[in-house]
Amino acid sequence: MHVTSSVRTPLVTGGKTYADVTEDICRQVEGKPTREWTIAFAISFIVLIYGTACVFWTWWEGLGVWGLNKTVGWAWDITNFVWWVGIGHAGTLISAILLLFRMKYRTSINRAAEAMTIFAVLCAASFILMHMGRPWLAYWALPLPNTFGSLWVNFNSPLVWDVFAISTYFTVSLVFWYMGLVPDLATIRDRATNKVSRYIYGTLSLGWNGGAKTWARYEYISLILAGISTPLVLSVHTIVSFDFATSVIPGWHTTIFPPYFVAGAIFSGFAMVQNLMLITRVVFKLEDYITFEHIESMNKIITLTGSIVGVAYITEFFIAWYSGVEYEGYAFLNRMTGPYWWAYWAMMTCNVISPQLFWSRRIRRSIVWTFVLSVVVNIGMWFERFVIIVTSLHRDYLPSSWAMFSPTIFDISDYIFSFGLFFTLFLLFAKFLPVINMFEVKAIIRSSSEKLPASVSGVAKGERVANPTFNKNAE
Amino acid sequence: MASIHSIPSVEEQYEFTAESKRKLTIGIIAGVVLVGLGAFLAAKGIGSHEHVEAAHGGAQSAEGHHAYKWTTRLWANVWLNSVYFTGAAVTGMFWLAYNYLAQAGWSAVFKRVPEALPAFLPVTGILMLITFFVAGHDLFHWTHAELFDKNSPEYDPIIAGKRGFLNTPFFLIRLVIYFAAWYGLWRLLRNFSLREDLEGGTEYYEKSIKFGTAFLVIFAVTSSTSAWDFVMSMDTHWFSTMFGWYTLASWHVTGLAIITLVVVSLKEQGYLKAVNASHLHDLGKFMFAFSIFWAYVWFAQFMLIYYANLPEETIYYRERFTGHGGIYQAPFFVNLFMCFFFPFLVLMTRDAKRTPIVLKIACWGIIIGHYFDFYENIMPAAVGEHGGFGPIEFGMILIFACAFIWSVSTQLTKGNLIPRNHPMLEESLHHDI
Amino acid sequence: MAVQHNDNAKFLVGIYDDDDVVLKAVKEVKNAGVRIHEVYSPFPIHGLDVALGHPRTRIGIAAFLFGLTGFLCMVALTVYTMGYDWPMIIGGKDPYSLPAYIPVMFEFTVLFTALGMVGTFLVSNGLGPTVKPLMFDLRSTDNKFVMAIDLNKNKLSETEIATVLRTSGAAEVNVKQF
Repeated sequence: MHVTSSVRTPLVTGGKTYADVTEDICRQVEGKPTREWTIAFAISFIVLIYGTACVFWTWWEGLGVWGLNKTVGWAWDITNFVWWVGIGHAGTLISAILLLFRMKYRTSINRAAEAMTIFAVLCAASFILMHMGRPWLAYWALPLPNTFGSLWVNFNSPLVWDVFAISTYFTVSLVFWYMGLVPDLATIRDRATNKVSRYIYGTLSLGWNGGAKTWARYEYISLILAGISTPLVLSVHTIVSFDFATSVIPGWHTTIFPPYFVAGAIFSGFAMVQNLMLITRVVFKLEDYITFEHIESMNKIITLTGSIVGVAYITEFFIAWYSGVEYEGYAFLNRMTGPYWWAYWAMMTCNVISPQLFWSRRIRRSIVWTFVLSVVVNIGMWFERFVIIVTSLHRDYLPSSWAMFSPTIFDISDYIFSFGLFFTLFLLFAKFLPVINMFEVKAIIRSSSEKLPASVSGVAKGERVANPTFNKNAE
Repeated sequence: MASIHSIPSVEEQYEFTAESKRKLTIGIIAGVVLVGLGAFLAAKGIGSHEHVEAAHGGAQSAEGHHAYKWTTRLWANVWLNSVYFTGAAVTGMFWLAYNYLAQAGWSAVFKRVPEALPAFLPVTGILMLITFFVAGHDLFHWTHAELFDKNSPEYDPIIAGKRGFLNTPFFLIRLVIYFAAWYGLWRLLRNFSLREDLEGGTEYYEKSIKFGTAFLVIFAVTSSTSAWDFVMSMDTHWFSTMFGWYTLASWHVTGLAIITLVVVSLKEQGYLKAVNASHLHDLGKFMFAFSIFWAYVWFAQFMLIYYANLPEETIYYRERFTGHGGIYQAPFFVNLFMCFFFPFLVLMTRDAKRTPIVLKIACWGIIIGHYFDFYENIMPAAVGEHGGFGPIEFGMILIFACAFIWSVSTQLTKGNLIPRNHPMLEESLHHDI
Repeated sequence: MAVQHNDNAKFLVGIYDDDDVVLKAVKEVKNAGVRIHEVYSPFPIHGLDVALGHPRTRIGIAAFLFGLTGFLCMVALTVYTMGYDWPMIIGGKDPYSLPAYIPVMFEFTVLFTALGMVGTFLVSNGLGPTVKPLMFDLRSTDNKFVMAIDLNKNKLSETEIATVLRTSGAAEVNVKQF
């Protein structure tokens, strides 16, 4: 029994049948790569190769190739790490929280968002490895007794918590994403026309056949996964914020950091999803599935989370004054008016002011505005981390150790590396896996389609229908 | 299949019976008697904690060396209950606003319940104004003029630095703005809702989304600033950026528990027949999730202060943990247990969230637990070693609770119990998970 | 889940076009005294498992136990390493400072819950990379709803069941032998 209020806007347009959904989305997976895709992939891959070379040089030479100094010991590396982890939050959030809240617009965007999460977390992890300087000793971060005795990792250290948080987040997100893919992979398997893809998609789909009992359990575990992923999303960025907030450095030690980091992460993640989906939608001709309603809903969340972040900025600022702590007050004044004033104001403009433009219905339903503002938001969120990290560090308690940070070519190239990695992986995903969750879209067609066709099932196309090998009529 | 059940009529009129009115009156009278008894004992100095302090001494707040008056405890209780019930009332409005903004469909059927809560706001608002005028000097350390006077021996440079925010006129202006804005916007939404019942159409729905959003924008700022004003400023030196959101989390989950409790009770009295197990399940999920959220915010604030160990911050927990002869240690753990562990364990399973009696137990746990939350945040600052649980505390809770129930019941009679023309009602009636 | 591979496993397969129709059909077919093997659909149909009489899953209990295991593992690890094996005073706290270990305990709880639950799900549903699914109709992962009836487990004849299926709204009725 589906009852949908008439005040709701449809989420699928074009009078799609179930067969249409399959066809529209599988087409990209089964067909030859398009020209746009090939060009984009070639560019990303070249960037990745260049970036990889730079990362190897960073490791070969040592972290001296970065612009770090004694005062500013963390700069672009951790900025990039936090930025990517933040972006990585929207995917699991869209899937998990919106699933719990039964927001139907989630169905068209969750797959790509989850994939984005995984690739973004990989990019984030690459900066963790990079800033270790000697990545072959990365296992020192694991709780293994050392060779000289039984000295263990320090579980009091937020950096150790990070190891657990990021690896758990990556694993659980991967499982969540993959479990979501299984039924759709089975669809592709059953449509496959050659042995190789039947074998590959057959293996990946784990023998899925869509029985009612399997579906019931599947829905149940999806809910539980969503239920535990939601606090997980919160915990991961909370622990990232603990990296700073457990210290006593002015500008870092403030109790609002955990929820404020989480809000910021969701904010930047949604912006990145917007960017990716707006391109995918056009290139793959998915305008009927990613409608203006989707874009508008996501813009509303961007405005909401941007405003939460804005409230947190103001709270920090206010309490820095209210507390009467001299150093805290100075740290914030220095952010605003010190040598890094431009970073602070870039952050404020991009994160707090620009999303307010979405209060205008015309702007939040405009593709161009949405795309531009989403880029702006992500620039702002990068600056936020830069402001927190570099401006808090560069003026020490001792004025004699005050310093500035200037990035070298390797700071920049290692950042570019992560873009190469991210887009290469995302493009591979977009080509070889269904970018929209077919089964979930089919499940909302009846309640949320603009107009229902006479037969909602539609006519399946392809060889297996024209020439069924094992069906014969009864009687 | 639950959804195939026939949908009961949406025409229901709540009756606030003479019997309930009688019970509530008795409750209020009993509360007044208890408070009177407690006040009498306090005035005589019976049952005070001075001897405890003499035995333990040691850690205590650096603030508030002024002579203690027994009336302070009375007024502290008025303030504490006012803050608590303000939160419960305003959460009704918060709920309405975010349900409109998110275009929630399922909650329409019991929408009149959260809608009934904010009517209590003027009562708490006026009580808080009175308390501030009568006992502000005893409750709020920063109201003492000599702290700001450089030539006075009492001069406190840190508090003097807060003068731009913590001064009586500005405080009063803010207090009035909070209540005027919250209550005013609620009146608007309430009128839209009642008129929608008579006239139908989607015009009022669209308007409600607009004004609900306006409320959320205002509440985004005022929820934090009011928490600083009402609670954090009592510990005048102490500060925490999290405090606003922490208080909001506490208020919110209290409100959710009260909404759920009222829905379940109405259902047990034979009203809200259209509310099915799926609605209760979802309300249970809300309480479960936001109890965890409260615990998250609580832990994040506690952890960071504990870990960084800065004296000006740690004093807050030190005072509550071992200060004042340790009288606040038990409430500290009761608070944690009732607000997190109890609802977490009780509401974990699906069946629990669908069983009215279990839901009610969880609601009571949360409601009582968050009283302890505010008790723990307000009392050490307000009365220090003179605090405790006596007739004043219990009596005051009784008075406020009965008055609150009275206010909610009155509001429930003012319209059809189910918003019959709400555009989402059909979805809500068929809610099935 | 898996059907026994004997030589004369023979199924009648009703193909439906519509999820609402198949949900009603399940009740009609059951009322007609036919035992349904399983219904296959391209997406989950709300209430279908209840209509088929499948018991409620108990996977939640497994998930809880896995979570508890993960939590206890991390409690044990932190107690052993920080409190017993090599106690150290860090930041002026006790060697075993519980609040600082809550984040890792939480992470391990979630990790164990997720992996354990998904593992249980795969095992209990007979899913895995090498599993060859029994597909009654390949369109059941695309746009059709497929009701499979095991003829060997039903008393009614093939023709009678086919009529029941057709009346309940099946667009096609096929025979499938493994």
